[in-house]
This record gives sequence, structure tokens and C-alpha cells, in this order.
Amino acid sequence: MSWALGVAADHPVLLVAVPLLFAALCPIWAMWKRSACFPWAMAGMSVTAFLAWSLIGDVSPRRALTYNLSGWRPPWGIQIRIDYVGLLMVCIITAVGLLIVLYSWRYVEHDLKPERVPYYYTLLLLIMTAMIGFSVTGDLFNMFVMMEIFSITSYALVAISGMKEAVRAAFKYLLMGATSSLTVLLAIAFLYSATGSLNMLDISLQLKSTSYVQVAAVALILFVVGFSVKAALFPVHVWLPDAHSIAPSPVSALLSALVIKMGIIGLFRVFFTVYGPGFAARSGTWNGVIDVVSWLAVASILVGAALAIIQRDFKVMIAYSSIVHIGYILLGLTVLSGNGTVGGLFDILAHAMGKGCFFMVAGIMIYKGNRRQIHELRGVGRTMPVTAWAFTIAALSIVGIPPTAGFMAKFYILWGCIQRGKYHFVVLALIGSLLTAVYCFRVVYYMFFTGARRPDARLDEGPVTMYAPAALLAAGTVFFGIFANLLIPSLTAAARLVLAR
Amino acid sequence: MSRQTSSVLPVIIVFAPWLALAGAAAWGRSRPRLAKAFYVGSTVLALGLILPLYGRALDGVVTKQHLVEVVTGISISFRIDTLGFYFAILLSFLWLLATIFSLGYIHERETRYYCFLALNLSFCLGVAFSANMFTLFIFYELMSLCTYPLIIHDETEQARRAGLKYLVYSISAGAVILAGVVLQFFYGGTLEFTGHATLTMADASKSVLLVIFSIYMLGFGVKACIMPLHGWVPDAHPAAPAPASALLSGVILKIGAFGIIRVLFDVFGIRQLRVLGVSLPMLYVASFTIIVGSLFAITQTDLKRRLAYSSVAQVSYIILGLFLLAPDGAMGGLLQVANHAFMKATLFLCSGIIIHETGKRDVRQLEGTGSKLPLTMMAFSVAALGMMGVPATAGFITKWELGVGCVQAHRPYFIAVLLISSLLNAVYFLPIIYAAYFKEGSAGERLRPETKPTMLVPVLITGAFVLILGIFVTVPGLPYSLVKVIVSAVF
Repeated sequence: MSWALGVAADHPVLLVAVPLLFAALCPIWAMWKRSACFPWAMAGMSVTAFLAWSLIGDVSPRRALTYNLSGWRPPWGIQIRIDYVGLLMVCIITAVGLLIVLYSWRYVEHDLKPERVPYYYTLLLLIMTAMIGFSVTGDLFNMFVMMEIFSITSYALVAISGMKEAVRAAFKYLLMGATSSLTVLLAIAFLYSATGSLNMLDISLQLKSTSYVQVAAVALILFVVGFSVKAALFPVHVWLPDAHSIAPSPVSALLSALVIKMGIIGLFRVFFTVYGPGFAARSGTWNGVIDVVSWLAVASILVGAALAIIQRDFKVMIAYSSIVHIGYILLGLTVLSGNGTVGGLFDILAHAMGKGCFFMVAGIMIYKGNRRQIHELRGVGRTMPVTAWAFTIAALSIVGIPPTAGFMAKFYILWGCIQRGKYHFVVLALIGSLLTAVYCFRVVYYMFFTGARRPDARLDEGPVTMYAPAALLAAGTVFFGIFANLLIPSLTAAARLVLAR
Repeated sequence: MSRQTSSVLPVIIVFAPWLALAGAAAWGRSRPRLAKAFYVGSTVLALGLILPLYGRALDGVVTKQHLVEVVTGISISFRIDTLGFYFAILLSFLWLLATIFSLGYIHERETRYYCFLALNLSFCLGVAFSANMFTLFIFYELMSLCTYPLIIHDETEQARRAGLKYLVYSISAGAVILAGVVLQFFYGGTLEFTGHATLTMADASKSVLLVIFSIYMLGFGVKACIMPLHGWVPDAHPAAPAPASALLSGVILKIGAFGIIRVLFDVFGIRQLRVLGVSLPMLYVASFTIIVGSLFAITQTDLKRRLAYSSVAQVSYIILGLFLLAPDGAMGGLLQVANHAFMKATLFLCSGIIIHETGKRDVRQLEGTGSKLPLTMMAFSVAALGMMGVPATAGFITKWELGVGCVQAHRPYFIAVLLISSLLNAVYFLPIIYAAYFKEGSAGERLRPETKPTMLVPVLITGAFVLILGIFVTVPGLPYSLVKVIVSAVF
């Protein structure tokens, strides 16, 4: 085992190469036997997850792993650079991804035409590859490439059922996504023209002395616009409710739990790795942009929550709820205090688990009895207790009620706001969490407290491979709510470094 | 408060009621009678584990147990001090009686009801044994949520509406308290309860302290139903089944008051509150609640709604006593916790029997209950006299101590509030007693048996306690001895 642990530390590129290889070989397996695709995808995700988790001891906030592709040293070559935040993301992606693949098995059998199943698993492995690559790359252009891969695969995954509405939603997503990708590309071009480099650390050094401050400032704005669309920040969130609600449920879970977080990581990298608070001394744009984003984050919280409350469709409601949490995460990251950043990063984890669980539960409801409307969930608490309780616990985390991970995240975000004296954000964020409670507990209410009691009601949970992942994610929110100290000290150290740049 | 010991006992006590869940999971459907034994047994277990701690509590020994450090400086940990013990013993005793009462009263959705009853006990004990504001907040929130299924137990339209109102109030309150916790931690740097002030003028300016104080009052005031935050109380109590309303009124409202007590004793400290000058405004708010709550009670015709408003008024006695910031005032306030718990539990359980046996909820239709249900009405009358503050009942002791406290605090005019309140209590309780015994058409056959023994016995026990607490005040083991320790440690 010890040699295996060493492999990933010596060759971080394997994190990207292994799932890519599995994705490429998936169609070949399908030619032999279609049903072999699921175990193949499981194997691919398991190996990747093992590689990712074996790095946990090797990376600390002060120590990043680097790997130069083909031995070209930066700033010339592409560098893989796994820092603490990157590793955190990779661990979340592989853990939640593994559960999503497992969950997909029975759902996809039920929901998709058999000839599309191989495509599905190929795309799933590909999108994991791209997200991992996006999180660990140290090179801006490489980041763009990875972003294009996960964007295009996600359009395809949204449309994979082939239904008319799905294609329409995917097209809407594609229009906004492609525009945002172009914006990011343009920003990279601007930055390249100003600094002559594509390596993030190198650019951040160059920006300290460059004379093209205006160009860099414009690039910053373009970056923020582009990544905001990917993250579905208000007011460029309009693609999200359609795409997330119409996609097959495991895909919704994937998009909501992981893919929109890539937009956030993009913003995080741009704000803190590439530009850094040091850039504020050179151009007022940095502070201005940060302020705008934090206000938009608060708007996301309130607007998203208000829209979620008025929805009748379960999955659309959950989709709007994602916009709310994107708001919380970005509020934490842009409040510019150590604790706010910790809260934002922690909420990425909390929301990945909570929202993944939400969509999985929604999928189970569709799988068993095609329940899509919230009022159709009557009495589910009695017939599907595990699923309903998983939802309830995840809802506690999404609302931010202790002892769950979502609560710890909210606690730190509020603490950060108070540290910076931004009391108005505290009030608005708390109002947001009240609204969140309204739409989450409405579902819990329908599940447990309505519906006639039928003596003939039997337990009818659905496949264990579907409710077990949901229950595991719900258990995870409680675990990280109580043992938050596993992460918080390192996150605090990481946040301190990030803000000191 | 010098001696400290460490023990896992608090953890065991807090999670003892979860045994009921195990019973429900194993036999809830197949052997309901065995499951019921578990429900009662888990409560007995909790009570049995708490009782032996009496000696330590009386000596002021603090038992601490650190459970898990959530983040640096913030941990989930338990601590049994005299105040926590006082609340814990009270609430587990009432819980036992209410659970026994439920055996006769609850006929539908039993598994859910008893499970949430047990969970609620566990979380209430968690609040009482919290070692810091963070732990307290966690258990407080969980308790708030787990009360909801009890309120909407009947699943009628009225119950649903009451439940919704309850949720809106308590989740908002939770958010407000959270803001208070974060602010306290940011300025004070610690959330621990140590028995003296932890957030002082040295940590923050006076205005900041006032803001934090108001936030806490706003948050905990919802559960402690300080007007105008009481809106959920008069709806939730009539909607809930009688034993649940008895606990709601007898215990859960007091948990809100418990939060306020912690804020007073362990966050700000009495001496500092005098400097902050919050005493008088809070006294006015409490007096307003006492008088207006009683006036509202008079106008209600639904028996349980009338009792609910009466609770609104009576819980503010606790607030009034505490904010006199005088030893005897605090004595009165803390005694009121137990006194009111027994009186109101008696009244609500009696109303449960009346509704269960005669089907009448309207106070104007109670004629003849005295002869139909003699033992029940006897307990009801004793408790009602207690509410009026008639000597030899628990209520009198509260009022006496509060009166002394008013003088001690040099605010004798607040005695008028107590007198007016007694008068108003008489106005809304005496007609019920009059109708039950003396009104025309009151002659009727005694129901035989009067009601199920599982319902009658708890009522008689709580009713007896109203007298015991009023007569044998200073007997060791009764609240007075504990309250004295608490107050002498603080003042």
C-alpha cells in the first residue's frame, strides 16, 4: 500500500490522467457489454478517490504539491499545483462523485434509453476529470481548457434524456455558458498581454510591477463576469433552475453539488491567487469588484430564497436553493476576513453534501411513483423513512441549524461579517436563512405531517444504492458539524495565507 | 463554586431518553405495550440518574464533561451546576408525570408522539446541562424543532396553523440568538458559563453590550413569551394535546427563561447589569406582560387558551424577579420556575381530563364538572388558588419572595403589579371554580370511574405538590434549598 500512497504524491498528474483514461476506455467496454460501464465507472472513481485521499497528509496550507508537465518549468510549461484548497475540492469532488456514480446505477437504468447509458458514464468520468483538473491546475489557460470540458460535458449531461424540454434547457445553459467561457478566455488574453505569462503565481508576481494596470483591471472584471455565470450568481443565474431541474437527478446532484462550485473556485483563484489583496494597492478595481460581488451574493441569497419559496416543483425549488447557497459561499469569501473565508470554504463542503442529498432524494421520489410536485410528497415519511429523514437532516444543514456542517459554515460567515463590521450583511444573511427554513421545512412538513394514515402503508424505500448515498451525505453533514475541528484549523491557516498575499 | 469534578454522567443523562427511540424502533409497531414501557422507562432512567446528584448540587460542586471541541475555543461540553440541576430535576419529574398521563390520553400516532416527547426531554436536559452558550444554542434549537410534532399532533387545520406560527416564531428566534452568540464570541472571546460575568466592559463598549443584551432578550424572549413576542403561545397550547401543553407551559417556556438566566448570571453578571441600567426597562416589559397577559386571559372563552394567556403572564414573574437584581427577587423568580411548573401542569392536565371525559372546552359550559369529576376539579381548584397567590399554596411563596425583592431593590411600587395580577387571576379563575361547583345545574352524577388512573394519578401528584411547595417550603430537597444555593453564589 505504501508505494501506492507515494505514487500520487510523486505524480499529482495522475489525479487527472487516471479518470481521463477511464473515461476514454468506457465506450470500448460498452462495445463489449453495455452493463459493464457502471462497474467500470465505479472502478475509475474509486481509484481516483483513493489517489486523492492518499494526498491528505502530504498537503498542508503552507505546502503545495507541484508537478511540471513534460518537465517544463513554469512559467513556460503547464504546472499542476495542488494546494490546500485544491485538495479540499478534489476530495469533495471524488467523495461526492463516487456516491453519485453509485446512485446513478439504478436511476439511469430506469430513466435513460439503454443505448445512452455508455455515453452517460463516459461523460460522468469526463466531467470529474475536468473538475479535478480545474481545481488543481496552476496554469490559467489549462484552467480554461478544463472549464470548457466540464461545461460542454455538462450541457450534454443535461440534454442526455433527449426530451424536448431537456434539450431546450441545455441550449439555454449552453448559450450562457459559452458566452461566459468566451469572457473568461478574453480575460486570459488581456492578462497575457499585460504580463506575458499564463502561470497563476507568475502572473501574481508580475502584477505587482506591471505598468498595464488598467488592462489587468479590465481582465479582472471580465473574469468575474465569466465565472459568475458558471457559479450562477444573481443576476446571471437564469440558466440554473431549468438546467438543474430538468437534468436526470444524479446529474442535478452533480451540477449543484460540484459543478457550480467550479465557478466559485474560479472566482477564488482569480481574487486571491492571481490578483490577491495586494492588487488593491495598485487599482481600486479590486476592492470595487469584491464589494459588488458581496452585494450580489446577498442579493442571490434573498432573491434565490424568495423564488424557492414560491415553487411547487420539488426539483426547481432545490435548484433555486442552490442560488441561495452560492450567495452564502461568496459572501463568506468576499467579506475579506479570515473567518469569513473559512466559512465560505466550509460551506462549499456543507452545501456539496446537503444539496447532493437533496437532489438524490428528489430523484428517489421520481424513481418511485414519479412524484415531482412538493404536495405529492404527502406521507412519504411513513413509507420511505430513511429517505425522508435523510432529507430532513440535510435540510437542517442547508438551513444552518446545529449540529450540522451548514451551521458551522453560517457561524463562520456571520463571524467574518462581524469582524469586518458589516452588520447589515449579518442581518440580511439571517433573513436569508429564515426564508431558507420556510422552503425547506415546507417539504419536511409534507413528508411527515400530511397525508391520511393508511394501515396498509408499507415500507417502500426503493433501491439501497439510491437511498444509501443520500443517507451517507446527510450523515456527513452531521459528522462535519460536530467534528468541524478536523478542517477548521487548516482552513484558518489557509485563509490567513490567502488574505496576506 | 470552588470544587469541580469531571464525569461522563451528564452525557449519559442527556442521552438516556434516547432509549425510548430504541424501544420504538424495535417494538413500536409489533408490541406497542412493550414500547410504552420503554417510553416511561427511559424517563424514569433519566430521573433516576439525576436524583443522586442532589447532594453535589447542594454543595455547589460543578460536574464537567468535555465532549468534543468543534472548533478552537468552541466546544460541545456539559456542566452540571446547581442551576442546571434544579431545572433538570424539575423537568424530568414533570416529564415522567406527563408521559404517564399520555398513556391514557394519546390514542393516535403514538410512536411519533412518544419519540418526540423523549427527544424533547433529551434536548431540554441538554440545555440545562450546557457548559457554554454554543452547546446551549445547539440543544435549544433542536428542542425548538422537536416541539413542532407535539404541537401539531392532532393534525387538524387549527393545529397546523398553530404549528406554522410556532415554527416561524421559534426559527426567527433561533436566528436572533445565533447572532447574539456570534457577537458574544467575537467580543468576549469565550462562551463558557463560569458562574460570573464573561463579557465585560473591558471587552466592549457599553453600547455593544446593550446591543448583545437586547439581542439575547429578543431571542430567548420568544420562548419565555415576553410580550410582544408571545404570539405563538395562545395558539400552540390549545392545539397541542393536554400533556404536551402541560410540558410546553410547565417546562419549555421555562427553558426560554433559563436562557435569560444564563445570560444574566453567566454572560453579563448581576453587578454589570446594574451598571448597564437594563433593570428598569425589563421590569416595565415584564410588568406589562403580567398585566396585559392576564387581561387577555379574562377575555378568552376557550379553557386552554385562557390557561395559555395565564402562562404568558406568569412566566414574566420569573423575568420580573430576576431583573429586580436583588437576592430575594431572584429567589422569587427562580422559585416561580418550579411553582408555576407544578401549578400550570396541574391546570393543563386537568383541562385535558375535562376535555377527554366531558368533551367541553368552553369555560361557560363547565357547570357540573365539580360533581362529575370531583378529584380532578379539586386539583384544578388548588392550582387555581395557587395562581391567585392564596397562602399555603406555591403561588403565595413566589409572590412573597417577589414582594420582599421589590422592597430590597428599592422599587416597592412593583408590588402593585403583583397585587393587580392576583386580582386578575381571581377574575379569570374563580368563575370556573364557581361554575364547576355552585352554578345551577351543577348537580350531576359522579363519573365512575372518574377517569383512567394513569391520568388521574399524575394530576393528583402535581396538585399535591402545589400545596407541598406552599407549606413545607424549606424542607430540604424542595426547590427552596437549591434556589438558595444558586442565589447565594451569584449575589
